[in-house]
Amino acid sequence: MAEHVILFTGPMGAGKTTAIRSLSEIEVVSTEAGNSERHIVDKATTTVALDYGEIVIGSDDKVRLYGIPGQKRFNFMWTILKKRAKGMVLLVNTDAPDPIGELTFFLEEFRELYDRGGVVVGVTRSDVLDGPSLDDFHEALERTNPGLVIPVFTVDPRESSQMQNMLLALVVNIEMRAAFGAVPAVAG
Amino acid sequence: MATGTGLHTKPAVVKAATTLLADMKGASSSLTYAALLTDDGFDVARYPEKTNGERFAGMASSMQALGDAVTHELKIGDSEYIIIASGKGHVVQLRVPGHELVLSALFDNDATVGHALAIARSFAQKASDLIG
Repeated sequence: MAEHVILFTGPMGAGKTTAIRSLSEIEVVSTEAGNSERHIVDKATTTVALDYGEIVIGSDDKVRLYGIPGQKRFNFMWTILKKRAKGMVLLVNTDAPDPIGELTFFLEEFRELYDRGGVVVGVTRSDVLDGPSLDDFHEALERTNPGLVIPVFTVDPRESSQMQNMLLALVVNIEMRAAFGAVPAVAG
Repeated sequence: MATGTGLHTKPAVVKAATTLLADMKGASSSLTYAALLTDDGFDVARYPEKTNGERFAGMASSMQALGDAVTHELKIGDSEYIIIASGKGHVVQLRVPGHELVLSALFDNDATVGHALAIARSFAQKASDLIG
């Protein structure tokens, strides 16, 4: 069975915990604490260490799903978690104060995951606010990281089928790049 | 923009917590560092006061949440305290009863783990009483 370790990144409120809960076939390990920053993101709790779930895609691709805490004060966890990951789902909510800035920040911070595997971007909460369009995200990626192959989707992290499609696209991307020698082969 | 709702944003709490940690040092000469922090990783107060506690507050809150995740996974109830022992001292950490706060304290090896835990428990309760 091939095994993938995928990291879910992005700012607080992008939907990382919700996405992992939508995808996981095991009970998700969560580390939630009361959110002191409801004036910034209005939700009751926030992840302070990690989320962890698992899913099997197709007949034999086991995917371990790790979620980071989105706030920079937890960046020591980013260092720990990025070491073991081979790909990234970067979620950005369009109602964040600067969604394009968050995209470029997290991509730069976790750029090694593109080099080791692959990256997909999921744009969330696009129905809530008239924020940047998919074209805006594509343009920002092309401007800041020309030449990288990074699919961009609009997704609802609550919808398991949407998240599975995006995860499958990432796994295929990683395996294709490994097959063509662009990245190291995945563990077998 | 409105200010945050955490205890770290309330000057009266920060002042009282700072005094409490100084008292904790008075109760145990082996105490070399102590921090009160919110469950979501904000530094409320620390001893010595003139240190930067932001990074440690984030780490301690992650550790607390991971401890809770482990006790949940193993179905052994709630996490009461966490101890990290090293060659140069031990960290004792526990929740402040009734509040979304954590007390984390580093003692040197002149203190036994039992003494360190007793002091930490006592001052976690004092913090709870103080904040009300």
